[in-house]
Amino acid sequence: MSAAGTEAAADAATPAVGPVSSAPGAEADDLAAPLYVAWQITNECNLACLHCIEESGPGKAFPDELDPAQVFSVIDQLMDNDVPYLSFSGGEPMLHPQFFAMVERVTSRGAELKIETNGHYLTRDNCARLKELEVKAVQVSLDGAVAASFNRMRVRGDFDLAVQGLRNLREAGVPVEINFSPAKFNMNEIGAAVDLAYDLGAYSFYTGRTMYTGNAVKAWRHLQIEDDEYERFFDTLRQKVDEYRGRMRVYFHEAGLLEELRYRLKHPAALIIVLPNGLVKLINALPFVCGDFRKQTLTEIWANFRHAWRDPRVAAFVDELAADPGRTRTLHQWVHL
Amino acid sequence: MRLAKFVKFREEKFGGVLFETKSEKVFTLSTSAAAIVREINVGGGDEAAITSRLQSQFDARDGQAIEREVRAFVADLRQRGLVED
Repeated sequence: MSAAGTEAAADAATPAVGPVSSAPGAEADDLAAPLYVAWQITNECNLACLHCIEESGPGKAFPDELDPAQVFSVIDQLMDNDVPYLSFSGGEPMLHPQFFAMVERVTSRGAELKIETNGHYLTRDNCARLKELEVKAVQVSLDGAVAASFNRMRVRGDFDLAVQGLRNLREAGVPVEINFSPAKFNMNEIGAAVDLAYDLGAYSFYTGRTMYTGNAVKAWRHLQIEDDEYERFFDTLRQKVDEYRGRMRVYFHEAGLLEELRYRLKHPAALIIVLPNGLVKLINALPFVCGDFRKQTLTEIWANFRHAWRDPRVAAFVDELAADPGRTRTLHQWVHL
Repeated sequence: MRLAKFVKFREEKFGGVLFETKSEKVFTLSTSAAAIVREINVGGGDEAAITSRLQSQFDARDGQAIEREVRAFVADLRQRGLVED
């Protein structure tokens, strides 16, 4: 997800292009439906990454993932309610048996769609198909500028295959974004990773702080970055923002999780997270579930979503995180609101 | 004139939203701004054509006010890269 930011309001003499914010920053209360649906379409993955917040991996598909009829019913509801922007992630979304049919269902209805993938299935044919289906962008995770660090982070991963996938996307003319998750062993490559992203044709580069949750809890001793190291990491990124200005957007989210959550409590974003089994989360970094597409309509879920952000249990959890940042290890113990 | 590629428009009770999905920025619109974007979205044409259609839809006592609003607003949309010809 991209970094938040706010631009100046338009001149008051115009008929009000109002305050401008990033997509996740668009506030939910006054809107008839979400503006952005981030859908983890399967928990199955070919890789077993050290830092995976979803605890995805080979054989890790949920036993109750939505069946094809349910999947297409959800898409049709989103489209009927004019949701303008979706992303498909996972797990590895390209492993979903209905992947291309789902993509087609979304893009043929006029919504914009981003695919978030590890890049291992980006063959020439698949890239040509993604181009034909007019996806908005494909975001590839590239956690390293060289094979050694990438392959260490992305267990079972193949740096060369991911890079070839990126080249195939570029050749097909599909817009490319790159995401980088920092760890102790790859953070010094951040400058080279930004350069590589540009060389591979990316128009956006995203990074931030790696979260202590999911697989990262077990691998934390390999991943943990100290505050002074993060300062150097973000300093390098600031230089890269300037270096690539006008050529590639370098986004980084410097704020810590607690700061982000406190902001969201006051300004819930018009964004829902859909899990592979149809449950809907308030936000990835909280354990709260506010809906179930197997039992509820989007309208019902959206009403509950807006109400749920004001539930005192949500604010209490954020307060508990302030006292014990390690509570993020419990994000997968869902709490139904 | 039309909305730029990757820009989506949705009407809301308060007016509407424009979502520039490439940079993931959302612009909130007043009711009058939403009316202009609706015309761009469904009918296209230049500022004069949009003004003419809006003047016929609304009982505007001052047609020049609509024209001024359309010109200023479309200029703002162009400057932000939200429309293209």
